[in-house]
Amino acid sequence: MLTPKERLRTIMEGKPADRPACICPGGMMNMVTSDLMEAVKVYLPEAHTDAGRMAALAKAVYEKGCFENYGVPFCMTVEAEEMGAEVDLGSCVYEPHVIRYAIESVSEYRKLAPVDVEAGRARVVLDAIRILKEETSDVPIVGNLTGPVSTASSVMEPVVFYKELRKKNQEAHAYMEFITEQLIAFGRAQIEAGADVIAISDPSGTGEILGPRYFEEFAVTYINKLLDALQEEKLGTIVHICGQMSPVYREVDKIHSNVLSFDSVVPMKEAREHLKSRVLMGNVSTYALEFGNQDKVKTLTRGCVKNGSDIISPACGLGMKSPLANVQAILTCLKEGQV
Amino acid sequence: MSTKEELLKRLSDGVVDMEEDDVAEAAQEYLDAGYPAFDGIMEGLVDGMNRASQLYEEEEYFVTDVLLCSDAMYVGLDILRPFLPEEEGNSKKKGVIGVVEGDTHDIGKNLVKIMLETAGFHMIDLGRDVPLRKFVDTAKEEQADFICMSTLMTTTMGGMNDVIRLLEEEGMRGQVKVMIGGGPISQKYADKIGADGYSQNAVEAVKLAKRLLDIA
Repeated sequence: MLTPKERLRTIMEGKPADRPACICPGGMMNMVTSDLMEAVKVYLPEAHTDAGRMAALAKAVYEKGCFENYGVPFCMTVEAEEMGAEVDLGSCVYEPHVIRYAIESVSEYRKLAPVDVEAGRARVVLDAIRILKEETSDVPIVGNLTGPVSTASSVMEPVVFYKELRKKNQEAHAYMEFITEQLIAFGRAQIEAGADVIAISDPSGTGEILGPRYFEEFAVTYINKLLDALQEEKLGTIVHICGQMSPVYREVDKIHSNVLSFDSVVPMKEAREHLKSRVLMGNVSTYALEFGNQDKVKTLTRGCVKNGSDIISPACGLGMKSPLANVQAILTCLKEGQV
Repeated sequence: MSTKEELLKRLSDGVVDMEEDDVAEAAQEYLDAGYPAFDGIMEGLVDGMNRASQLYEEEEYFVTDVLLCSDAMYVGLDILRPFLPEEEGNSKKKGVIGVVEGDTHDIGKNLVKIMLETAGFHMIDLGRDVPLRKFVDTAKEEQADFICMSTLMTTTMGGMNDVIRLLEEEGMRGQVKVMIGGGPISQKYADKIGADGYSQNAVEAVKLAKRLLDIA
């Protein structure tokens, strides 16, 4: 039997494993639910700012049989907050979100504070990774980064940002360079702290919003810059892109990550056809996980495997009210070999 | 001196080409020549925005393109609108739109608002991270015909259900249609919470609103 870490490594290397892996990275791909918090009596939003609690919740995800990984943080606002955006940490049901932007235009990026990885919530995330590294061994630790376009559009108003990609193209690139450098610093620090995998989610950098040309020019370029600057010493990297892929399959295939992950609007079969040589992750409907039953979840899990997914995961962040039994059904199904 | 048709074409093309300055110039020339503002809006600006929607539907244009087209349209509207004759009565259907509490992603909502306004609806925009009761209170005060809600996050979609329940408690559910949309939302979810409709994108949202409110 492979350990979860060995299995993920094997799959990320593109080699055959005993069965598909089952992970949920964290970050945008939230895997903390109300049931889980109740089970271990550790709660959000406190766990967003306390490394011990963050690590405890991350551990619970594996220990309660939900997914075969640990992952931190549980939001996508750490980077923006460290650069000066104001964040509301949410509640036990609402995720943290930006409530005030730091700048008004891409041309103001020099006003932003560089991310100090040894301060604020960046430090909390690194400390949580250190705790997980110290206390565990066979389960992969996933460090999460908010993608470059999503970070850039969290620090300033997204509508203005999107328009300025065209109207202030050169300055937009300078801004993206700055943002990417901050993400590189945070990503490298996560690996140094003990993260085995780096997962990058870029929900605001979709092909549907940007169109193929800007998707390649801004999303793909800076995601690759970030990936290429991370240390070699890691299991691998995951990139999650939201929305339809049909306009941008060619561009998506240029992303240098080990694994590509999509949300539930992308049929796994279609993704497999277009991305024959890639390791794919996804995409059990979070709707079914929250409102369906275990049989439905197992049916969808088998469908993902059959249609070519190598790593089975929820298609998006889990809804807080998803019943624990539904969440556990993915892994149970894979372990039972019902695939 | 340009003819009316030439100026209308410039207004429409300016919107499609995202050229705010061209639109502003054409709008001013159009007014100076004494042509009616109403036609300039409908056959010039709105025509351009409809062409942009068509390109969006055909996946020639993407969200960022449509946002820039709408900027150009609004520049023209600001110039032409003051010259519209006094509206006789208020026949426009009224909608309340916003992103539900807990979520601040509003690109999709903005796009839907633009498309609905272009299609002639009067939209009241509550913005993002909107307290759930605000949807209901505003709909009541404004006697709105419909409510549009969006979210991009699984964690906040439950709020849409709460708004529908609040409408029921207030005895307003019969008078107000509810449309929902956003990344994790589906027709299935709309059916589950008893919303009147779901649309996958802004163009579909206009068709849905027209269908729900019996507008040809």
